[in-house]
Amino acid sequence: MARSRRTRRTLVLIGVLVLVAIALITFDERHGTSRITSGVRSVAHDVFSPIVTGVDDVLRPVGNFFAGSVHYGSLEQENQRLQATIGQMQLQLREVQGEAKQQRELRAIEHLSYLPDDKTVIAQTINVDPSNFAADITISKGRDQGVTLGDAVVAGGGLIGQVVEASHTTATVQLIVDPRSAVGVAYGPTNQLYGQAFGQGTGRGLSVQFVSSNTVVHRGEKMYTDGLNNAQLPQGIPVGWVRSFHASVGGASTQVIIDPLANMSQLAYVAVVQWSPGL
Amino acid sequence: MTAREAVRGLVVVIVALLLQLTVMLDIRVAGAHPDVMLGLAAVAGLVGGSERGALVGFASGFAIDLFLPTPLGLTALIGTLIGAATGQLATSGVQRSHPVFVVGVAALGSGIGVIMFAVLGTVLDQPDMLTARLSAAVIVVAVTNGILGYPLTWACRWAFGQEPSTTVWRGTLVSGDAP
Repeated sequence: MARSRRTRRTLVLIGVLVLVAIALITFDERHGTSRITSGVRSVAHDVFSPIVTGVDDVLRPVGNFFAGSVHYGSLEQENQRLQATIGQMQLQLREVQGEAKQQRELRAIEHLSYLPDDKTVIAQTINVDPSNFAADITISKGRDQGVTLGDAVVAGGGLIGQVVEASHTTATVQLIVDPRSAVGVAYGPTNQLYGQAFGQGTGRGLSVQFVSSNTVVHRGEKMYTDGLNNAQLPQGIPVGWVRSFHASVGGASTQVIIDPLANMSQLAYVAVVQWSPGL
Repeated sequence: MTAREAVRGLVVVIVALLLQLTVMLDIRVAGAHPDVMLGLAAVAGLVGGSERGALVGFASGFAIDLFLPTPLGLTALIGTLIGAATGQLATSGVQRSHPVFVVGVAALGSGIGVIMFAVLGTVLDQPDMLTARLSAAVIVVAVTNGILGYPLTWACRWAFGQEPSTTVWRGTLVSGDAP
């Protein structure tokens, strides 16, 4: 009897937890109630970000050491002491290289010719790709610094993404290579040809759709944000350059693959463009 | 679950979350990184039974959901199911104390969790879930959680207040289990 009661209690608890989880998913997916879950996320980011940053500073050498070990698997046959020594040397080297690289990135961001100086916020990247299935970064500036939903985010070479979540002190940026990302692009001799660049995942470039089969596209040609009516991004930010193109099935259009102009693997510092469609 | 267990469980979840958001994100193999929160759910069920496994799985999933771009509650749902499922193993009379079993459950439970995450994500219209990247994520998460199986087991034993003499290692029943 007692066993049956315990089993029933456990089943009820599991059922309740599953229902709560499904309710949360439903709340998050519905437009009317997603603000509530977005608010919860925002509070969590505000509370945890300083702690995560502090813990990250302390534990980064540990993470770097493990990361170094993972990426240098060919050293596995070396003896234990040699591995430890190499790991430490790699760590020191990476720290030096990392600092130099960050300084270069920061200098590059400060001199972006296509952006007005007074409308950008420089931010540091806190986290890269927290999910295994999305291409997002978390940056160190949020609503308190004027970062708002929809702001364009750029790095040295051009556009890297758009703010999709903003708490008081941090913001989440959906990268242009993320499969959920779609960016209106302009190209051609006078930038009067338009398309839509969709992300295809990290390392896979962007697929530009709605390009007429009559359109002449050149390999290496640059594409820029289009700034059309209802555009979410300002006009003229470099997005990518054409890697390849081929006729789609049926031949009605040309499918173009572009690579981001910004170096998506060097995002230690980024600039948030404070722009809204009426400006 | 007592109040003391709940508080300790919360501490374990928060520590795991901090590790996930710091060290684990630095470790990348083929573009995938470990997911210690799924491993915690799997091991919590194994150590504490279905009830505690489901609770810890829900809490750990919800905690990481707050920092993911996927729908809030998706990982919580997966964590609940994984914790409850491995908890069933804890009451099925199998040799839970065997090291291979602990490592296997942590690895297998996590791997299945990643696959469930991708499938449910696709059902919820999340793009690019069922791709080649999924296999890399499954392998990386399963292997790392297999390695972390023992530390996670210690953490769960501490959270559930299991003394060494009455631990699962000796096959003793834990509170909430069926006799």
